[in-house]
Amino acid sequence: MIFLKRTLPLIIAFVIGIIAIAIYYIPHQTAQNLQETLARWNRIIASFAFLLGVYSLMHLHAQRIKRQQAGWGYSLFVYLGFAMMLIAAIYNRGNGPLAGQADGGAYDWLYYNVFVPADASMFAMLAFFIASAAYRTFRARTIEAVILLVAAVVVMLGRVPIGELLWSRMPDLQEWLMSVPNMAAKRGILLGVYLGAVATALRIIFGIERSYLGGTEE
Amino acid sequence: MIDRLLNIDRRIVFLFIFVGVASAMLFRLPLPITPRPDVVSVYEGIDAVKGRPGGTVLLSFDYGPGSEPELQPTAINIMRQCFQNNVRVVGMALWPDAVGLARAAFDSASRACGKEYKKDWTFLGYKPGMETLIINMGQDFKSAFGQDYLGTDTNEMEVTRDITKLGDFDYVVTLAAGRTIDGVWITYAVDRYSVKLGGAVTAVMSPDMFPYLQSRQLKGLVSGLAGAAEYEKLVNVSGSATRGMQPQSVAHAIIIFFILIGNVMYFLQRRRDRLASPSGVASPSRFANPSGSRG
Repeated sequence: MIFLKRTLPLIIAFVIGIIAIAIYYIPHQTAQNLQETLARWNRIIASFAFLLGVYSLMHLHAQRIKRQQAGWGYSLFVYLGFAMMLIAAIYNRGNGPLAGQADGGAYDWLYYNVFVPADASMFAMLAFFIASAAYRTFRARTIEAVILLVAAVVVMLGRVPIGELLWSRMPDLQEWLMSVPNMAAKRGILLGVYLGAVATALRIIFGIERSYLGGTEE
Repeated sequence: MIDRLLNIDRRIVFLFIFVGVASAMLFRLPLPITPRPDVVSVYEGIDAVKGRPGGTVLLSFDYGPGSEPELQPTAINIMRQCFQNNVRVVGMALWPDAVGLARAAFDSASRACGKEYKKDWTFLGYKPGMETLIINMGQDFKSAFGQDYLGTDTNEMEVTRDITKLGDFDYVVTLAAGRTIDGVWITYAVDRYSVKLGGAVTAVMSPDMFPYLQSRQLKGLVSGLAGAAEYEKLVNVSGSATRGMQPQSVAHAIIIFFILIGNVMYFLQRRRDRLASPSGVASPSRFANPSGSRG
């Protein structure tokens, strides 16, 4: 059982990892074909991950309803929304699930009249919370906070026409802040992130990092 | 008074934002909109496709309804620009919830410009896989998308018949609200398959894009609602993005106003405490969290 649970996945990760890296640098047609096949496999596996996601979501909310946890009523809406969208998509104006989605059916109606406004409203509310949070947190307590505060005000004004109306060079100043100090910091962060990603990938390929296998490391 | 202004109830802040944004939507103010170089680059990149035989632009819809106000106007305006210049447009989605938005954009732009489905445009729909989908498209476009969203064979449609791989597209624009632009499009489509890529992103993402703009991995960038308004200016349209500049300007001004009030009161309070203190030093603990902060 240890072979199936631990050794075999480690061997698969090592072999596929090495092949995937190697074929990226081999311009031969065979390598290209293999890469295409692997990419297709990945997409098929990714599709199955949706099923896992749906199961996980449904299971989580079923538990909440069963235990009548705080806010369990909202979990009913998860089931309601999921069932309505699923039925509408499968019915597909009488064309069935295998045909392309027909225009103007119940699925479209739900998407445009429920999902889109609900999702957009959630994001729209951010403006209110950002305003309140900015008022409370942007205090010039230290020199670093002053720099952050001035930069934030310049970017906020420079990004909208009212900034140009106040001072014609405001957008240029905003642009400079974004493309010089911001970019330098971002580039440093990105280099660190990607070096970390390379290190993690190598640790997984060589079996040093095993947490993805689940359970405790031995 | 100082303490009250230092701890304004958040509902008052919400009210100011609501009234400010709502009133800015009712009145029309003549605000200057000047297209920035990064936005002009996207416009010119698409304009350069004009006149090429079979010139085709690929639009990737990688956003959901939450980002619709910022990205949908750019999507529609790019389509209109393409259609008006007889450039074909192919759409696809890396986000499943973008499908309806993409269809709405195609319907709106193609109807306005009198363009035909299959001949001038098509929408391929959503497919999972992200990076691997791009690799598949780079190697063999037809194996990645054998059919479009409505089930039409991509070999049969005039718009996709001659496209064999991702590199055959004259220009690609990704409209992104997540990490697909740098994690997928730049890493694979640009670096691997030498695709000319322009981006349209939400304002919150634009600071992350500047390293790629400077390295020219990203040929141009339309960022946020402001970028969308600048694009509307370039295509001589006064649409929802241009109208959106008024409430956005007012919202930014209100936020700055409250930040200024907060800081002025903070310094007044500090001065008052310093004068009241026998040692002449204000207690730092009072300022550590003056609001007891709740967002």
